[in-house]
Amino acid sequence: MSRISIKIVGAQGQGVNSVGEMCAKGLKRAGYCVFGEREYMSVIMNGHSSYQLEISNEKVRSAQEKSDVLVTFNHHGIKNNLRDLIEGGVLLHQTPQWKFGEEDQKFIDANSIKVIYLPTEEILKKLNAKPVLGNVLITSVVWSLIGRSSDELKEMVRERFGHKKDLLELNFKCIDEGTQLIEIEKLVLPEPDDCWKSQLLITGSQAMGLGAIHAGCRALFGYPMTPASPLLTFLADIQGESKMLVKQAEDEITAVQMMVGAMHAGTRAMTATSGGGYDLMTETISLCGISETPAVIVLAQRPGPGTGLPTWTAQGDLLMAVSAGHGEFPRVVMSVSDAEDSFSLMMDAFNYAEEFQIPVTVLTEKQIAESLFTIDALQVRGDRLQVRRGRLVDGDGLKLLRASDRYDPDAPDGVSARWLPGSDAPTYCAQSYEHNADGSFDESGENATAQMEKRMKKMKGLKRVLPEPELWKVNSEKLIVNSDFSGEIDVLVVSWGSNKNVILDSINDESVAYLHYTYLWPLKTEKLVELAAKAKKTVLVEGNAQGQLGMLIKQECGLEFDERVLKFDGRVSVPLQLIS
Amino acid sequence: MNQPKENAGLSMKDYNHNNLCTWCDGCGNYGILTAIKRALIELELAPHQVLICFDVGCHGNMSDTLVGYRFHGLHGRVISLAAGAALANPDVPVIAFGGDGACFSEGVGHLVHAVRSNYNMTFILHNNANYGLTTGQASALTPHGEKMNTAPHGTVEELLNSMDFVFSLNPSFVARGTSGNIKQLTDIIKAGINHQGFSYIDVLQACPTYNKFATHEYLLGKCYEVETSDFETARKAAVDTSEKIATGVLYQDKTRSTFLDQLEARKGIDTRLVDEVRKVDVSALLAKFS
Repeated sequence: MSRISIKIVGAQGQGVNSVGEMCAKGLKRAGYCVFGEREYMSVIMNGHSSYQLEISNEKVRSAQEKSDVLVTFNHHGIKNNLRDLIEGGVLLHQTPQWKFGEEDQKFIDANSIKVIYLPTEEILKKLNAKPVLGNVLITSVVWSLIGRSSDELKEMVRERFGHKKDLLELNFKCIDEGTQLIEIEKLVLPEPDDCWKSQLLITGSQAMGLGAIHAGCRALFGYPMTPASPLLTFLADIQGESKMLVKQAEDEITAVQMMVGAMHAGTRAMTATSGGGYDLMTETISLCGISETPAVIVLAQRPGPGTGLPTWTAQGDLLMAVSAGHGEFPRVVMSVSDAEDSFSLMMDAFNYAEEFQIPVTVLTEKQIAESLFTIDALQVRGDRLQVRRGRLVDGDGLKLLRASDRYDPDAPDGVSARWLPGSDAPTYCAQSYEHNADGSFDESGENATAQMEKRMKKMKGLKRVLPEPELWKVNSEKLIVNSDFSGEIDVLVVSWGSNKNVILDSINDESVAYLHYTYLWPLKTEKLVELAAKAKKTVLVEGNAQGQLGMLIKQECGLEFDERVLKFDGRVSVPLQLIS
Repeated sequence: MNQPKENAGLSMKDYNHNNLCTWCDGCGNYGILTAIKRALIELELAPHQVLICFDVGCHGNMSDTLVGYRFHGLHGRVISLAAGAALANPDVPVIAFGGDGACFSEGVGHLVHAVRSNYNMTFILHNNANYGLTTGQASALTPHGEKMNTAPHGTVEELLNSMDFVFSLNPSFVARGTSGNIKQLTDIIKAGINHQGFSYIDVLQACPTYNKFATHEYLLGKCYEVETSDFETARKAAVDTSEKIATGVLYQDKTRSTFLDQLEARKGIDTRLVDEVRKVDVSALLAKFS
């Protein structure tokens, strides 16, 4: 894949994100696939942060280790990130009279790094512009470095500030200054491809929010916690359009309880949190298990334990999601991997929650929630997805109901009829105590057995309907999902979540196949066992210390991997070079 | 409440459940159960038109003794559960029952924020000043120094004055009744259900097994009825229980908007969240991502 990487670094609050987002949007519109990745510290100001953009005319889903261009806002950026440049890379810095240390100068010389100083302050002073305009100035320098026309940039600025004439003019002046500044050789971008122009540039959180709206979710109850907060913020920001009810509750227990109350009443509602908040929600998840109340909980992972690394990424909460809550009850745990399935899987989450009357946990990660993806708009507009509400009874069906239908132990697949408060029908009690068919207390051993068996039967039904893991393989020179599991495999890589992106970006021949797990509980292992038997080597890749999916796989089918690649430093998972 | 006329013929038996009642003889819950059933009948609400939520405790076993849509949830969480349901379907009156253990210790935060949020729901506190179902431990509403299970030498913690606490939160509806005065309690509950906003109803309840300090007779002797008054007068009357205990609808602000009514995004929308579950075309929201 031919691609270019630009990394922008500086203190939080200096404009790293605005420059990154502006460049990303411009490049996507110019015909490039763009992937943007944010790294930052758990502070508001002065923490060191970065925004890395990957630009290609082919599908790109992850960031490389090294960049072609490094833009620094302060001298910390020069010192910390100089070595992130490739040989022949460009450093654009804004620190007046900067003297490189001996080692840095050696690195610059040895790697033929081109150093460009941007006299930002000077130019802004000359234009009588506020410091915030530095972002446009820097963007225009980057823009000219990659050989794009300043008109494209002006068009974007017009969209944003068109209503403020004075500001717009000043912005244009900055762009003119910035584009004239560089006289070195321009970087050569791959040939643009029009197919990207109509696509969307969107973060995982935004896509998930749209996916929830699309799925008919009408309420979000949340409590701020990184990296779930961007979802809460996004849905709050667009509530005027979506007409959704967005409530910031007083704590996570309240958030999940309100969600359960709203689901019980009959709407679609969800809550979103990170590991610590999910801990607080677990008793309520158990309540959903016994009261058979549909629930959707988004668990946006960051490294724990404790407060951990709040703004970094992880996959350490899989086993928690699979086993959270006291007692035994059926549930679904699924994981998104990028913005595309962050959108589409929300419909599945709500459908399974209602069809099986169970709690569904949707895992995401900081790396997905806050990264910028280029995705096919058709996937978001398409009508492939349908609302399915399972055995929800209304209309004439209500007349036939008996109270004892609610928790009928003989219901097929363990899924009994459900009807909503306010329906003109016999009433029942949704019960957190063990109960009999109409929700009345029943402590007899026979009843306890019958009701537990009724509920646990759902796991069998789920295993039957949940999709198989996806097998990605190069087929006729294209990396695609294969429905046919036959054929030779040298290396079988197995993983889940955001690792998919790095792994797919690394596969370039037919020898490596990637099996991606979206549905993690209940876990389907038949295809895996079949593939593993013929692979020369099996490799497990996970963003946690124990290999949690590997543990589940071993528990379910006894399979052990030849190699495990585990990363748990808060950073994105390893490139495939390490596993081949 | 604009309920259809056919409900006018409702009687107590419409709300009776056949399950065995398991409360102690003389328990105040019997009086509260009777009052809620009478209130619903007098409001001409049929069992299928209400949602009654229960916390966990002796009071929660009421879930077995009446019909109606019920949700018997977790200890301490009933207010949040009920609030979520009330927001999703504002046409179904939501009544939440909780004890003093659940709502002034375990889940006190939910009470605080439900009062602040003014969700349109009714909360009925079974205030028997102890944890009955776990055999008589002290709650935050047990007087200082009482000898209780797990406090054989008397409680060390100060008593929390429930009325002072709730009034400090600027509530829109505060009432107090007793389990021994069913007629008055019925009227209070009706007023609470009719109130648009969060109705706090503190019911002083006899617990003959574990509460030896505020018995049925003691409560009947001390309680007196007051008219609804302004905030300061009501708060003063409610907080000072040294001589006698003021009961009735103590305070009501009919001008306050509910949580749902204040949401800008929901203004001018006739449908309820429960009516809106369908696939939504998000095309119009995509412009900013192109």
